[in-house]
Amino acid sequence: MVTITLRKSRLLEKLKLTEGELEEVLFNLKSEIEPIDQENIAIEINADRLDMLSLGGIVRAAKGIMGVELGEPKYKVVDTDYVLEVRSVESRRYALGAVVYNVNLDQEKLRELIQFQEKLHDTIGRRRKKVAIGIHDLKKIDTKRIIYTTVPLNYKFVPLNQKETMTVSEVIEKTDQGKKYGNISVYNNLSPAILQEDGQVLSIPPVINSEKTKIEEGTKDVFIDVTGTNLQAVMETLDILVTNLAEEGGVIGRVKVFDITYMNFSPALIRRVVEAKVDYISKRIGIELVGKDVVRYLSMMRMDSYLEGDTLKVIVPPYRIDIMRDVDLAEDVAMAIGYNKLEPLQIGTMNFGKFLKETSLYRAFRELSIGAGLQEIYSLVLTNSNYLEGNFVRLLNPISAEYDAVRNSLVWTTLKFLSRNQRARFPVKVFEIGEVVVPSNSDTGFRNDLREVMAVMDSKVSFEQLQSLLHQVIVNATGIEPTYEENDDRLFIPGRGAAVMLKGEKVGILGEVNPEVLVKFDVFYPVVISEIYLGKIANLI
Amino acid sequence: MLSELELRVLSFIKDKGVTSSTEISASLGLPKSSVFSVVYHLASEGYVRIVSTKKERKLVLTEEGETRLKAGFPEEKLLKILSRGPVKVQEAKDVLGKDFEIAMSWAKKRGLINIQRGEITSLVQTYKAPERELLEKAKRGERLGVDEVSLLKGRNLVEEKEETEIEVEFLREPELRSALLFLTPELIRSGEWRKYEFKKFNVRALPPYVPIGKKHYFREFIERAKEVMISLGFSEVKSDYVEMEFYNFDMLFQPQDHPAREIHDSFRVEGKGEIKDEELLKKVKEVHEKWWNYKWDQEVALRLVMRSQTTATTARVLSTSPKPPARVFTIGKVFRPDAIDATHLIEFHQLDGLIVEEDFNLRKLLGVLKEIFAGLGIKEIKFKPAYFPFTEPSVEVYGWIDRLGWVEMAGAGLLRPEVTEPAGVYSPAGAWGLGLDRLAMLFLGVKDIRDLYSDDIEFLRSRKVEAQW
Repeated sequence: MVTITLRKSRLLEKLKLTEGELEEVLFNLKSEIEPIDQENIAIEINADRLDMLSLGGIVRAAKGIMGVELGEPKYKVVDTDYVLEVRSVESRRYALGAVVYNVNLDQEKLRELIQFQEKLHDTIGRRRKKVAIGIHDLKKIDTKRIIYTTVPLNYKFVPLNQKETMTVSEVIEKTDQGKKYGNISVYNNLSPAILQEDGQVLSIPPVINSEKTKIEEGTKDVFIDVTGTNLQAVMETLDILVTNLAEEGGVIGRVKVFDITYMNFSPALIRRVVEAKVDYISKRIGIELVGKDVVRYLSMMRMDSYLEGDTLKVIVPPYRIDIMRDVDLAEDVAMAIGYNKLEPLQIGTMNFGKFLKETSLYRAFRELSIGAGLQEIYSLVLTNSNYLEGNFVRLLNPISAEYDAVRNSLVWTTLKFLSRNQRARFPVKVFEIGEVVVPSNSDTGFRNDLREVMAVMDSKVSFEQLQSLLHQVIVNATGIEPTYEENDDRLFIPGRGAAVMLKGEKVGILGEVNPEVLVKFDVFYPVVISEIYLGKIANLI
Repeated sequence: MLSELELRVLSFIKDKGVTSSTEISASLGLPKSSVFSVVYHLASEGYVRIVSTKKERKLVLTEEGETRLKAGFPEEKLLKILSRGPVKVQEAKDVLGKDFEIAMSWAKKRGLINIQRGEITSLVQTYKAPERELLEKAKRGERLGVDEVSLLKGRNLVEEKEETEIEVEFLREPELRSALLFLTPELIRSGEWRKYEFKKFNVRALPPYVPIGKKHYFREFIERAKEVMISLGFSEVKSDYVEMEFYNFDMLFQPQDHPAREIHDSFRVEGKGEIKDEELLKKVKEVHEKWWNYKWDQEVALRLVMRSQTTATTARVLSTSPKPPARVFTIGKVFRPDAIDATHLIEFHQLDGLIVEEDFNLRKLLGVLKEIFAGLGIKEIKFKPAYFPFTEPSVEVYGWIDRLGWVEMAGAGLLRPEVTEPAGVYSPAGAWGLGLDRLAMLFLGVKDIRDLYSDDIEFLRSRKVEAQW
């Protein structure tokens, strides 16, 4: 989700809608509105609909779904005598340019345009790594030939919103923009640059524009440069930008691009033809549709299409970069119909569902443990590595030391729980059944293991006190009498720890916790604890 | 069963063998009336025997008698004044006030003083009024001679009253307390219990605290959600927390430079996974490169993460090429780095479902979602078109909550062919995921998500068990 802010009155005026109606229309276009103040609203746009990141795009889409304007709008495109010469820029190979006349920026349009640029940077631009945009006041560009090339880091210019001349290095080191984006495309001490023919800097992609060609209130026409590492993304970004500006009254000016093999002119304004079977779309949605219905629905989504027999050919406009194939068209048709006008179909039940073995085990042991008088607790899987012992999974990028590892036993999280409850009404008698993560020979090297922990904390506890409960839980769940063997686990007081055995296999541990361990967890009351391995027990019975 | 008081009195009588009501009253500091009622009760229960009951005229101290005993007799006061030498009559009168006349009269009568020229002189060294000793005897109930009685009466220090006096004799020990507190098998079998009275309890008193075993309220919610899915014909599946990016992202058609795959959106784990299905790897690589137009890196796909969505489990199921019709669901923990606050935690539960059926479509998917939410207790839902990389068409489900309005509750869609086909699944497939924690908060009235994993046992003990939801 991407959020943009727009002037409410501008949007309502253009669409001739009330606020409530606008909310409804946008909801059916995957978007939600949230009032900010009297004048402004925030609109959430889904990540696939980059064409809706500006007012023009929202208006275009809304008019279609409202039935006010149908099909792809035909925007005026003129040729210009501007030339973009693209030289070899290894770190950021692709660059395209376009002119848009009649943009006529006022205070609000200027703010919207900068917002549009930033939102495209954050989405398709992958925070400028993949694509970056420079927008210039056309009037302030002195030459018709504009060059995309590299400059050394001591190359000088006045960066946007600065008064002094700076070198590229200084911009990278000293300005906020430089610190954030400066290192993306510098390579061999060279930085990409968009220059006038006379060598004056228009922008240093993907970092910053120059003050020289700054757009401002009153700017009439703009020159847009788009650079990046992926040609398709560069083309798409430019197409979305210019078509959205055209929707608001701009006239697209084509720029000659040369010395590169991939293009002669830009913007490319690519229209792809995507085919789909009418029958496939019908089946996908679950509604009987004939060809002309589908054509009409797609026109509401601002796409032109025609039929060749039972095959639908859709001319996907340059701004609908999210349409990949037939399934995407099916969604647009469903949207044009309205999701809430589609009657949900009952699917009926053919088979009975089945619980996992783990769920059945959980339920059996849980019932018995509650019967044994223990309170069920539920702790987090992530925990503090300081408390863990043995092999465990450590997070490579934890957000805090409290949660930097994955529990490998329920004993540790339970002792932590007990330490927080020393002022509770005694006795504290608890159990938890849950998964821990242990090394294994699975395809990831780790697996979940289902375990149960039981513990009693009181001013006086005994081994037998918990053993008697544990014993009954196991006997009742398995029908087998467990046996107990000495276990000199350091967790327990010597001579008071046991291994719980079932059919000769160790299926758990039980004992009075060693004060050394209690103190580590800041527990100052005696504790008797047991952990049993439910997965292993299930395999034995 | 005897009361505390009865036991005290019985024990005193036992020590004395034979005693009287007056003696009991004086020694135990009890009013006579209490002594009578206790002794009569003990006698009726057979612990003591009343030897005799006498109505007796007894001397009782008057108010005057009590006062004099405490404060001293007037003539004693006079002689105390005289002990430092002769005193003028007027002076003695001033000191003694209204007692003066009585003091002079008794002192003269007993020959204790001499009066000459208006001056009083003591004739004795010290003086203690004989009445004092007599009064003390009378108070203890001792007998006095006739003259003595008339002396005291004459000075209005005592009066005669008729009183009942009982003499009582000890017969038998009180029974042990425990036998009357607890009914024992022996008492029942022998019939002995008939001989006893059960101690009456204060049944209005509140009991002491005893912890009982109770299900965790949030886990109970999760178990009920499982039951909803089972009842709709879905079978439960699971997969592990540590997952390969391949199943968490790549198979779900999320390009490797997708913002949701950035390091701050999932927890990384050291290590590298292994996928033996070369065909699957190849096909996933193909669809990524074809549609997302970049170079797919297998090493990235094999990296380990804590799964960030249970759709990873769905991807695992798909990778086994399930044959339609297939309906599965999973409920499990997912992990995402986030700032922890009242509505965010770094681990939470998702319910993911997958349905693969020959003629499955969007309307059927909406139908499944409607049934699931009805089962969970959300009666009214609406659908919003949405975007997820792995589904098309995609839908978000909004549910109506009375005090909140429409709340986003789930994401769903028909899986893209780019997701199903590499796994060899060619039938339509629907999938959805919903966050259970937020839903549980709505249903359980929990304001802070951390309370779902509370480490405060008193909070858990205080949770009422939900009878319905």
